[in-house]
Amino acid sequence: MKAVVVGAGFAGSLIAKVLGDNGFRVTVLEAGTETGHDEAVHRFRTALVKSPLAPYRTTVAAPSSDYLINTGPFAYSSPYLRMNGGTGTVWTGITPRMHPEDFRTADLGRGRNWPISYDDLEPYYRAAEWEIGVAADADEQRQHVPVADGYAYPMHALPRTYLDHAVASVVDGQRIDGRELLITGTPQARNGVPVSGYRPDGHLCAGYASCVPVCPENAKYTPRRTQKRWSPHIELRTRCVVNRLHADEFGRVTKVSYQRYEDDTTGRHTRHEVEADVVVLAAHAIENAKLLLMSGLANSSDQVGRNLMDHPALLTWALMPQPIGPFRGPGSTTSIDAFRAGPERATRAPFRIELGNWGWGWSAGSPDSDTAEFVAAGLRGYALRKAVADRVGRQFTLQFEIEQEADPANRVTLSEDRDALGNPRPSIHYGLSDYVKDGLLAAKRVSDQLFELLKADDYTSYKPDEERYFEHNGEPLRYWGAGHSGGTHVMGASKHDSVVDQWQRCWDHPNLYAVGCGSMPSLGTSNPSLTMAALALRTADHLVSHRAEEVRCTMSKAP
Amino acid sequence: MDAFVELSAELTGFSAEELRSTGLVEQYAELAQDATDAELIQLWYTGVWRGQIPSARAYAEGLAWKAVGVAPPGTGAPGFGSWEHRPRRSV
Ligand SMILES: Cc1cc2nc3c(=O)[nH]c(=O)nc-3n(C[C@H](O)[C@H](O)[C@H](O)COP(=O)(O)OP(=O)(O)OC[C@H]3O[C@@H](n4cnc5c(N)ncnc54)[C@H](O)[C@@H]3O)c2cc1C
Ligand code: SF4
Repeated sequence: MKAVVVGAGFAGSLIAKVLGDNGFRVTVLEAGTETGHDEAVHRFRTALVKSPLAPYRTTVAAPSSDYLINTGPFAYSSPYLRMNGGTGTVWTGITPRMHPEDFRTADLGRGRNWPISYDDLEPYYRAAEWEIGVAADADEQRQHVPVADGYAYPMHALPRTYLDHAVASVVDGQRIDGRELLITGTPQARNGVPVSGYRPDGHLCAGYASCVPVCPENAKYTPRRTQKRWSPHIELRTRCVVNRLHADEFGRVTKVSYQRYEDDTTGRHTRHEVEADVVVLAAHAIENAKLLLMSGLANSSDQVGRNLMDHPALLTWALMPQPIGPFRGPGSTTSIDAFRAGPERATRAPFRIELGNWGWGWSAGSPDSDTAEFVAAGLRGYALRKAVADRVGRQFTLQFEIEQEADPANRVTLSEDRDALGNPRPSIHYGLSDYVKDGLLAAKRVSDQLFELLKADDYTSYKPDEERYFEHNGEPLRYWGAGHSGGTHVMGASKHDSVVDQWQRCWDHPNLYAVGCGSMPSLGTSNPSLTMAALALRTADHLVSHRAEEVRCTMSKAP
Repeated sequence: MDAFVELSAELTGFSAEELRSTGLVEQYAELAQDATDAELIQLWYTGVWRGQIPSARAYAEGLAWKAVGVAPPGTGAPGFGSWEHRPRRSV
């Protein structure tokens, strides 16, 4: 059985592994190149703007998200990386499960229902947590999501930050809008202390505080870890940009075309084809949609590229009354989960609140911005040093992950503009509904109350000349892209209104699978990659157990 | 060289010793010959010289971070769980 996997990123690396372990002949076609670990760390340190993609080599032939064209009322600002390992190299590594309610978003809130439930996915959550290596405490997680009895995460929960303790000592047990607050540990895909039976890959998290975009210690999971465990049945071909899938008259995908380049600085390339019994598209939500649209496949429902989602994130930032030592350790080790579920989601988007441990780095560019401010105000010498110490030493940020419902108007289409290989650039039409904006506003109100409880000095400000600024009900707001692209080949119960079935198999093509967050009918309020990984493992299981059927099918269709 | 260190110390609030221990005095003296005070402070505090970071060390030795008492992200490993402790007093 010959499988072609398109994309050696997060989802593709996981699926390829299971297929390889089960005797499939697997070819993985990867558009990008490689960046050595030490090189990435060095590039990070010398990058003026330490943006998520800064450490990584990209090529002219396979540009990353910076080649997107925004056409809608709001900018889609979540990046993705085309390089071996994909965006899974850049990610933060925060891995909460979705809430059971999140699978029924159409019934309880806005958007779409899933064709499967939390219970269907629960065993795969466990499998994904062991494959990726997640540190968390099952009893603690049971406070807001069901976790199977007797289950242990592969590693104990990471120690909390000093900030977490300081916040918890004030807010635990308090109420906002009738909700009881509780600071809860966030599951993390970075190495902690293992439980018996688990051997961590890489070192123990040492607190480098640069998990996004690169962990110098290799303590954070990246897809390269899974690739190291691939069986010899798997062949990886990098610098191969897939540009078309071909189907026969019965809808079966027969071969995959790709463009191979040697030179990273030009679009010069050669053209190739590879035949396949089964094809797994794992090129990232936006690129998967682009490839299906370019191939004219899988779109009888007219949903390919639609329902593009993200977590529009609201950042608020303040000073604690006392020094808390930010920028030590992971970016966030706890959250407040009280606003993830419940009846409010009928009227406004729900949200999850991450306690941010990296000062105002993301929200306001600290400490460079603080230094510049004090220098401009005339501070010099010891006064300057003290001002920076006092300001930065007390900084923290709240990051609200707001659910965005599947909306067919938010979509990826093919632009007239071409990239260096002659392929269309993805065009993005993106907006925020009133449901989302109401959620952002509710989050801001909760932030105000939290800062008041904490006696924190609120420095949050959103200004009209800043990117992604808008007003809602007369109040200034701003959103940030969390990097959580989803929905573009949405999963559903019927071929009439969805692209893939519950196995992530394209309704229109029995041997074509589109995997990744693009399949998710809702993102809920959880960072999506753990759920994506669970779905990928479920799909891989399905492929393995249906192999016999696939082979029969292939033979009966043979000329 | 001493004059450069003296001026830098006066502007940054870090002692000549602290500045020398960064290993950057020579590089910065060369680079920042015609710097304004504000530019020189920015260089020492953030490692940025006219829109560029001249070396990985310039980033790693940024005085803004030292003022706070933490390593710049991606340059120092305080150790597993160290983030749970009360921060050391820095100034
Ligand atoms: C800054 C940032 C932080 C994040 N933090 C978190 C987090 O803490 N928790 C969380 O759950 N999620 C997080 N995410 C999201 C997470 O990174 C993605 O959900 C995940 O990587 C998506 O996996 P994927 O396999 O679909 O895509 P990717 O990991 O991007 O992999 C896709 C692969 O396909 C390749 N490819 C693309 N086009 C082609 C083509 N035409 N031919 C061949 N190959 C192709 C790409 O080069 C890439 O290797 C974050 C994202 C960002 C940007
Ligand atoms: S805190 Fe540091 S060691 Fe831990 S995962 Fe992040 S970058 Fe790696």
